[in-house]
Amino acid sequence: MSDRLELIAEVEAFLYLEARLADESRYAEWLALFDDQVTYWVPKGRADYDPTTRVSYINDNRNRLETRVKQLETGVHYAQTPPSPMRRVVSNIEVTEQLDDGLVAESNFVLYEHSLQASNELRVWAGHASHGLRRVDDSFLIRSKTVEIVNSSRSLPTLAFLL
Amino acid sequence: MASKTNGLAANALATGTLVTDTTVDGRAYTDDGVFAEELVRIFTNGWVFVGHSSEIPEPGDYVTRTLGRDPVIMIRDRDNTVNVLANRCAHRGVTLLQQEVGNAVSLPCIFHGWTYGLDGALKGMPQPGGLSIARDDCSLDRPGQTAEHRGFVFANQSGTAGSLEDHLGPGGIELLDWASDLSPVGSLDLNAGWLGQEVSSNWKMWAESDLDGYHLGSLHRSLWQVVPDSQYQAAVMAGENIVKATTRDRGRGHVELEFWRGYDRQLAWLGVPRERVSDYCEALIERVGAERAEELLWQGPPHALIFPNLFLGEMNLAIIEPVAAGRTIHHHTPLLLAGVAPSFNQRVLRQSEAAMGPAGFLLPDDAAAAERMQVAFGHSGGVMDLSRGTNREVVEANGDRVGHVSDEIPGRGFWRHWHHLMTDHR
Repeated sequence: MSDRLELIAEVEAFLYLEARLADESRYAEWLALFDDQVTYWVPKGRADYDPTTRVSYINDNRNRLETRVKQLETGVHYAQTPPSPMRRVVSNIEVTEQLDDGLVAESNFVLYEHSLQASNELRVWAGHASHGLRRVDDSFLIRSKTVEIVNSSRSLPTLAFLL
Repeated sequence: MASKTNGLAANALATGTLVTDTTVDGRAYTDDGVFAEELVRIFTNGWVFVGHSSEIPEPGDYVTRTLGRDPVIMIRDRDNTVNVLANRCAHRGVTLLQQEVGNAVSLPCIFHGWTYGLDGALKGMPQPGGLSIARDDCSLDRPGQTAEHRGFVFANQSGTAGSLEDHLGPGGIELLDWASDLSPVGSLDLNAGWLGQEVSSNWKMWAESDLDGYHLGSLHRSLWQVVPDSQYQAAVMAGENIVKATTRDRGRGHVELEFWRGYDRQLAWLGVPRERVSDYCEALIERVGAERAEELLWQGPPHALIFPNLFLGEMNLAIIEPVAAGRTIHHHTPLLLAGVAPSFNQRVLRQSEAAMGPAGFLLPDDAAAAERMQVAFGHSGGVMDLSRGTNREVVEANGDRVGHVSDEIPGRGFWRHWHHLMTDHR
């Protein structure tokens, strides 16, 4: 196998793992995939603006991401009590940048969420993720994650699960 | 603009029987006929908040909004007038603008190429020889009345609602002045954009839950477990006989939670010590005087509903958009202030993101409760109790009703006005 294919396979395995942990609401294990310094951004519409001057759905540093996960772990965050059954398909994975200490991976996703906490709707979420990954031994840590949701330019339903 | 909705058939359910002083029939939230009648009596015949003039600073700047279910454009004209126009071609009814925000030099229709100016007047059309009505009749529709207070733009589609001053009353005017006076130049600068949260509930549950001081310790308990040192713990959750925060019904459906009475220090609402924002404090004193400035530094921004759709939510401004009996969009923007350092407004933005929106730490739980209320009321009713605190509410000299922060004074104030508008009082 060429180095390139090997790298893609490694990135795929990592993104699939992250997706599975999020789907199954395994909060602490999911958080353990993130670096000490992290930017976790879900912009309004495209990720083409300065999030310090315009609103975003999520613009977390490590501290706020930990708060987010801890709130879910209380078991009484009623928007996710019980956690939404979810399955997401991650695809179109490309390594778009290779750096000395890591890489940038782009991917698409389609996510089916059953919002059984209240309205019992099946919600479909689709979008694009950009992961900044830092190489650590034989795996990665996420140092940045930006998620563009295709229909997020005006409004979204409750997004209390891990995207 | 009222012509299309005024002809709706009278609702089969007698809306006048749904509300008592302390109860609400669940069908007020679930009945399609009630919703249709609200669109007429509240959102067409009454005053509705449209937007803030600071959102459109330059000529041609616009935002698109809805009045009830009717799409409108709020746009700044070349002479700096703020116009509210129907987002609907006067010819065949196509929306002119699709974007939420932008800048336009004119308003063209994609269908037949009619083009309007920023004041809504028809500027031109292809093949004008066939025009068989007066050109003056081809302007875009406008609400019967549009008025502004401190940059807050309101519209009344029917033109029959009386003056904005009457709608706001002294209580509503005081709230808008208060929010604006928090800026050291006396003006908001709402330029961070809006986020919407789609909820499967009736719009009125948002007017209620945004102004409910009773649920913080229960519905939002997950947040306090994780962030135990917010300004709300002392203000609202210290124990029924200890908390100092209060509720207030200012009349005309404008209702308020006075969290600030329970704060333990100045600037608790901003979460910084005074020395970190000394420039801001000095500028505030300069503009409004030491007495009012010290008061404002304690109070922070108001937490209040301006009936029916404007929520002054501390560091946020929110619009409650009714979509259907069981569908609502709760839009919010951070309450950015003109005349402060960028770091100040960045702080406001960060606080806003933490609290509000689909992925905030507070509103998702409010949405869950609202959606479960909508489910619970089903189709045939059930009655909601809003009597809490009638045993201890006080009527002040100006007519305001005041009570404990956990009491349902805001709910009763909202519904009293709703009942007034939904019955034939005129």
